Amino acid sequence: MAIIRGRDRKDAAAIFTASMADIVFLLIVFFVLTYKVEVDRTRMDLPDTWIRIKVPEKAAVISISPPDANPPLTIRVSTGEEMSLPVSTDEEIVTFASTEVARNPNKEFIVKADDMVPYERVDAVLDALKQSKVKFIYLLSDQRTVEN
Amino acid sequence: MRIKKKDIQSEIFTGSMADISFLLIIFFMITSAFSTSRGLDFALPEDTDTPEIKQEDSIDVHVLRGGAIEVDGEGRPLEGILPYIAEKLKDNPDKPVILRTDPDASYGDMIRVFDELRQAPDKIDMEIKTISIPTRREIENLWSMLGIQ
Repeated sequence: MAIIRGRDRKDAAAIFTASMADIVFLLIVFFVLTYKVEVDRTRMDLPDTWIRIKVPEKAAVISISPPDANPPLTIRVSTGEEMSLPVSTDEEIVTFASTEVARNPNKEFIVKADDMVPYERVDAVLDALKQSKVKFIYLLSDQRTVEN
Repeated sequence: MRIKKKDIQSEIFTGSMADISFLLIIFFMITSAFSTSRGLDFALPEDTDTPEIKQEDSIDVHVLRGGAIEVDGEGRPLEGILPYIAEKLKDNPDKPVILRTDPDASYGDMIRVFDELRQAPDKIDMEIKTISIPTRREIENLWSMLGIQ
């Protein structure tokens, strides 16, 4: 009978994984608490501002795509609870905003537009919101820093 | 002879827990949104309490194509707007500011000026009580009311 001597015994290398479950659940809890669905995924370069107020959750979103996007200067609307949908005319924005205001007269609206969008398009959106008797508008921006 | 009872240990199978947990983490990481939830706010006046603002009673800030700025008809740099407004507000602290933007100017140019006006309490220690952003249609309506073509 062969006797395994001490120096011949092989210890299998192992990574200690007992705390992995704790870390994973901590991460899940973090994401669950901070989770917010992005209702409009239009990629754009927002203008930079020093003043940035937190926009309310569930606010309606109107986005204007960048001039170099494909298709350019597309306007999309979202109630804040559903994914955004494209609209083709200013009248459709008025109809959308009026419906939202009829449901909730204090409904907030977020205007999300690229830095390089001609102001004419933003003006048309603001005009549609004013016609719809919207009271609160937020112009989405990125944080301005000393570098930019 | 007594039959020895076997103790059956109940266990929850946790072998796939790690897979499910990582899938959840990846889902939340991809679909979460953090940074794009702040911006400049402004409240629109209600019809009932809309004061009529006359151009001569207000400070006119005009953003031109290319980002140039005119304040009461005179070209000024971005940093020169608030010192000029501070002088005007000393005479009349309620003086409203009208922010007009050329249709061909970029949205970013307008936002930079609006951001500058909103920083008045920090930069000139005075508050601009009313910042009006009229739309093109409102300006045209006003002009037609005044008989200006």
